[in-house]
Amino acid sequence: MFELSTDVASPTLLEQGDYSAYDALYLGDFSCPNFPNNFTSNPELLAEAVKTVHSQGKKCYLRLYAVPSNHDLTWVRSLIEAALALPFDGLEVHNLGLLRMLREMGCTKPLHLGVFGNLYTDATARVVKEYGVTRVYPNPELSLKEAIYIRDNTPIEVLIPVHGKIPLVISETCFIQEHTEGTTVGQCTFTCNEEHWLTRSEGEWSLKDTGRMTLSGSDLCMLEHVESLAAAKLTAFYVQSHGETAEFVSKVGSIYRQALTRAFAGIPVGDLTSHVAELSALARMGLCNGYYFESAGRRYVGRDIVCDTGRA
Amino acid sequence: MVMMMAPGGSKQMARMAFEEGAEAVYVGVVGWSRRGSEHELVDEEIRELIDYATDRGKEVRVVVNTLPSSTEIPMFIERIEMYASWGARGFMISDIGCMRLVHERLPNVDIHTSVGCGISNYQDVRFLADIGATYVVLPYRMTPEEVAQITANTNVGIEFFLFKTPSGGKICPGKCMMSSYFSYRRWLDENGKDHFFGSASRGGDCLRVCQSNWQFSVDDVSYQEGMSIKTNPSLWLEELPAYLAAGVNCLKVPGRDRSDELVRDLVRFYRRVLDTIAEKDNPDLSRFRPELESFRQRWSTERSNRDRRLIGEAEREALRAARAAARNTTTNFELSR
Repeated sequence: MFELSTDVASPTLLEQGDYSAYDALYLGDFSCPNFPNNFTSNPELLAEAVKTVHSQGKKCYLRLYAVPSNHDLTWVRSLIEAALALPFDGLEVHNLGLLRMLREMGCTKPLHLGVFGNLYTDATARVVKEYGVTRVYPNPELSLKEAIYIRDNTPIEVLIPVHGKIPLVISETCFIQEHTEGTTVGQCTFTCNEEHWLTRSEGEWSLKDTGRMTLSGSDLCMLEHVESLAAAKLTAFYVQSHGETAEFVSKVGSIYRQALTRAFAGIPVGDLTSHVAELSALARMGLCNGYYFESAGRRYVGRDIVCDTGRA
Repeated sequence: MVMMMAPGGSKQMARMAFEEGAEAVYVGVVGWSRRGSEHELVDEEIRELIDYATDRGKEVRVVVNTLPSSTEIPMFIERIEMYASWGARGFMISDIGCMRLVHERLPNVDIHTSVGCGISNYQDVRFLADIGATYVVLPYRMTPEEVAQITANTNVGIEFFLFKTPSGGKICPGKCMMSSYFSYRRWLDENGKDHFFGSASRGGDCLRVCQSNWQFSVDDVSYQEGMSIKTNPSLWLEELPAYLAAGVNCLKVPGRDRSDELVRDLVRFYRRVLDTIAEKDNPDLSRFRPELESFRQRWSTERSNRDRRLIGEAEREALRAARAAARNTTTNFELSR
């Protein structure tokens, strides 16, 4: 009826986390191939991981590095070769060059276009569909109505992030490493394990930084809108958990599993106040609705929203 | 021969650039390029400029590099066809779907990929060439060696900015939504054109929030104060022969949102540099250094002024949105079609 997915970067997180609420897992951190035991850059870890995920009755997707340079293409190709020999249910691609390379390599697995694929239009969705893409993650700047328009007019499946920080910026260099005294390139001490925040006193603006990726300060939260999502016949939902705790992954998944199950069964989700409070407690900088309702990404308007309903 | 392509942030700027030796000028269309409307041209100005350029054996390339709404695409294509019929020789485009549509309808115009395409390797370039790109603009940071790898593996024109980021910092543009996360507003004009204030990708100008004063902290411990998030690119010179040898055949002078006078002087300067390089192998460019330094200072001053103005706009819009939200509390929203 619907699929709820999240991301898992490494074998340690896969072992320690409770993913029982999820139907599918995206393996790997697409932003930093240097992070220890990242599925995205360690092909030797893939066979065991896909076996583990499948044994839990879940679909298993592999994320590919989002911003490969020329010199990265060789190792990424090796990783893809390893992945194609394994029973992955799909590969997530952010980079158009890799999309082309996958076609050259004869890949027949379903491909998902990732968040940094910069998908804004149905015209672009039609192009990537010809390259084997079956699911797209529309750019976060799109409203829900625009995402639905792309789904219907391509047609193609769209992945709708429902919770977690919004990926806003990606870089091929590490911001944390550049600003940590005494650290030089090639000597990463992975201080990104600690929470790094960028804050601005004027306007109370905040961002979370994970080194090569900058995320929204607030957590996207669509819990109060799950009935609208079900009514719009959206079917693929995603919790962004990069850089989050095991408690976050488990609790968020459980809350959305429960709400989505009711919404898709046509049962009113009821009073969500306590669940929103739980989610809010996990969000250091509060909740937001992203761009779904055509306002600045950091705003949260809950069920009482102001929105032009005229067109996509 | 390398083509020097200069900015036309105003009609006057474009004419000055032609007079100072630019072979081509790129101009943004109001509402359709990644700059504010004050640095874009209306249709009549574009038509006049195309005529002006044609009379002098020069070219106008039109920047339509927003990432549009799906519903805007027919309007987008109509406009491109109109500019092409007036004599525009090329278009800067970000959206790959639009790129392919333009290539199918107008196979003889040049399609330049925009910086918004965020190219990072030669396979990206091959992909874009497959769907119709004739020029690709490479990111500021690429070294001559990386450019040479791309030219060795592809067969398209290589466009390169005359400014580059000397060190790290975030990639921008193309992979950044920081501006619209804080300040963003969408509206439709009387012609049905979508406008997205605060989103550079969607034509509303980047509000440069990355250039504000940020504090960087680990958990609750601050270890950097008053820092900007993105490193600003700088005008460059010494590596020019190496980039040309690597296969760059279109040099892009930046500055659509700079003053007419600064752009005029920059075009004059780089024209002299390029002519010097063309005259002999291993030219000594050291005599140009003092001038380059003065341009860097003028550039930096104008950039700071622009950033302050845009950050102010971001703050005002954020305040306006907060007040509007406080006034309006309930409106039904229906996703079902």
